Amino acid sequence: MKQDTAAKTMIISSVLFFGLALTLGLLTALKFIAPTVGEIEYLSLPRMRMLHTNVNLYAWLLQANMGILFWILPRILHTKLFSEKLGVAMAVLYNLTLLGGAVCIVLGKVQNVEYGELPLVIDILIVICWVMFAVNVFGTVAIRKVKYLYVSVWYTLGAVIWTTFVYITGNIITALPMVTGINQANLSWFFVHNAVGLIFTPMGVAMAYYLIPKQLNTPIYSHKLSMIGFWVISFVYVWTGAHHMIHGPISHWLQTVAIIFSFSLIIPVIAVITNFFGTFATAPRSTRMDGPIPKLLMMGTIYYIFTCLQGPFQAIRAVNEITSKTDWVVGHAHMALFGAFSFYAMAGIYYIAPKLTGRELYSKKMGDLHFWIMTLSSIPFFAVLWISGVIQGFAWLNPENTFVQTLAALKHAHVMRLVTGGGIFAAYVLFLYNVLQTFFGKYADEADAETISE
Amino acid sequence: MKKPDIEKSLILTALGAFLIFAVGAVMTTIVPPMVDKSFWDAGEHDVHEYTEQELRGIAIYKSQGCVYCHTQQVRKLASDQRRYGWRLVEAPASESWEYVNDKDHFLGTKRTGPDLARVGGKYSSEWHWAHFKDPRNMGEKFESPNGAYQSASIMPSFKYLSDDEIKDLTAYIQTLGRNKNWRKDADGNPLNDYEQ
Ligand code: HEC
Repeated sequence: MKQDTAAKTMIISSVLFFGLALTLGLLTALKFIAPTVGEIEYLSLPRMRMLHTNVNLYAWLLQANMGILFWILPRILHTKLFSEKLGVAMAVLYNLTLLGGAVCIVLGKVQNVEYGELPLVIDILIVICWVMFAVNVFGTVAIRKVKYLYVSVWYTLGAVIWTTFVYITGNIITALPMVTGINQANLSWFFVHNAVGLIFTPMGVAMAYYLIPKQLNTPIYSHKLSMIGFWVISFVYVWTGAHHMIHGPISHWLQTVAIIFSFSLIIPVIAVITNFFGTFATAPRSTRMDGPIPKLLMMGTIYYIFTCLQGPFQAIRAVNEITSKTDWVVGHAHMALFGAFSFYAMAGIYYIAPKLTGRELYSKKMGDLHFWIMTLSSIPFFAVLWISGVIQGFAWLNPENTFVQTLAALKHAHVMRLVTGGGIFAAYVLFLYNVLQTFFGKYADEADAETISE
Repeated sequence: MKKPDIEKSLILTALGAFLIFAVGAVMTTIVPPMVDKSFWDAGEHDVHEYTEQELRGIAIYKSQGCVYCHTQQVRKLASDQRRYGWRLVEAPASESWEYVNDKDHFLGTKRTGPDLARVGGKYSSEWHWAHFKDPRNMGEKFESPNGAYQSASIMPSFKYLSDDEIKDLTAYIQTLGRNKNWRKDADGNPLNDYEQ
């Protein structure tokens, strides 16, 4: 089988799914303004929301990350992918599974775990896909032609191992008959939090550790910082799940543990960020703003800092009282998964797509335009969610306000969210066009060459 | 800087990453229910056992995704207890033992609508019927004193549920928060007029 077929399949289908996920996001945002739009069961707001998060997480981001790593790992390890056939089989099974999962969500056959709504059968199929992915990752590392494992490889190995446990705990253990109530809640937040922290963070960081130095043509700033970042994050991230239940009906000590560890997260994050910025700072000037890739990587890193500083801040009990359960949290989650890690994934796709086809990116200019529109819409998009969260949080403190009055105060914010979301979607269309052209399109100079030879 | 030897070994890197993660994983998933029995055992408290009908209601609540707009936890905060209280009686904060019979927890993360942990008994079942059918137009009987309230509601209409389904769902909603028998005045009389 042709080399890199698996990477190519996964990258292309993830890009298409990204469009579906964004469309669902817009529809959900629209329903916040006009709840009577699409009033049928299969299009109801909660189902659209579940579909939006699941398609984003698994069909777009995770799939894009796996595809990109299928390409990156063999390059770092100076070898081929362990088994291209296994990779392609996994890609096909994974996409079919997710399509089945999407149908289940629309029909309301769901579990009650946020991010883990897909029913048990689908969960099991995803686990099978994940094992196939793991075999390929471990296999590729085992047949490597280099001695030392590069940072990106540590993070990928970590992600594969941690995710297995995190995913099974959240999706399968929570479904066991004796797991009820608060015990189940604790496990589902262990999953929700670590889905972001131990799946998407290490995979995103693994990609960035490869892409930043490669694209900027400079070595990574500090090996010591890489080590601190990795080993500290593998220890501290997993402890923080209970910070989703601060002030809630769960043991006070467990909340405190989660808060303390949320703060310790600053250590690995600053190590990673310093390393990335150090690399940017020492890179040749000409490479730093050359086309969309370094820009996306830089902006992703900036979003990564902000998300990771917000995390500990929100975990402070007094702050949590205001921000928790409001739109603020929605803004925070978007900045992590869309801001930081989707920006990294898009950078990776811009980097790899031309390599897969053996030619330049279709249009750097269009890539830049995509970057700017997406960045300039996402900043107000996040900000409006935080602002409306704070408005709502303070409005709830005053018992004079009825709940519906506190809701009326958010009308403008909800409109702004839809409008800025529309900007993000417009930028996505440019991204999609650029990537599809790179894979399948005809280039102006190629067309010329053909006419000349005729 | 000389690279440490662990970076040469697939096994050591993988094992190290696993072990160091496992410490926190065990401490936050397996240990808490061992230390705090109220995660799964209500002790001397009486916890409501759901009837067949209420269980059907729970299934509808889950499949309709009510949890994406409603939490079910009155947090240990004065603002929460006051807001979700009733007739100047503050709602008691939710406690872990109250949930032991919930096979599906609906604690939730987002309050697009109000918290429902103590909503059982707050309204008559007739009110819920009208509300599920159309939250923005509940008919003359349940008109809010100043119609502006209802116009701001963004709860979806659930008119596509069958009559039986709405009844099942309402039966479940009416159980919420009853494990602490708090909707009573000092003499034990129910506080809601329609329940007397
Ligand atoms: C889009 C978010 C949304 C969804 C989904 C939703 N609700 Fe609501 N709900 C609201 C809002 C907003 C209010 C407050 C305005 C009102 O009463 O209509 C509310 C109010 C309520 C109330 C009255 C609470 C009180 O104390 O006054 C109940 C009961 C309720 N919802 C139950 C449900 C159930 C059951 C479901 C699932 C079948 C559901 N809701 C789905 C947003 C939602």
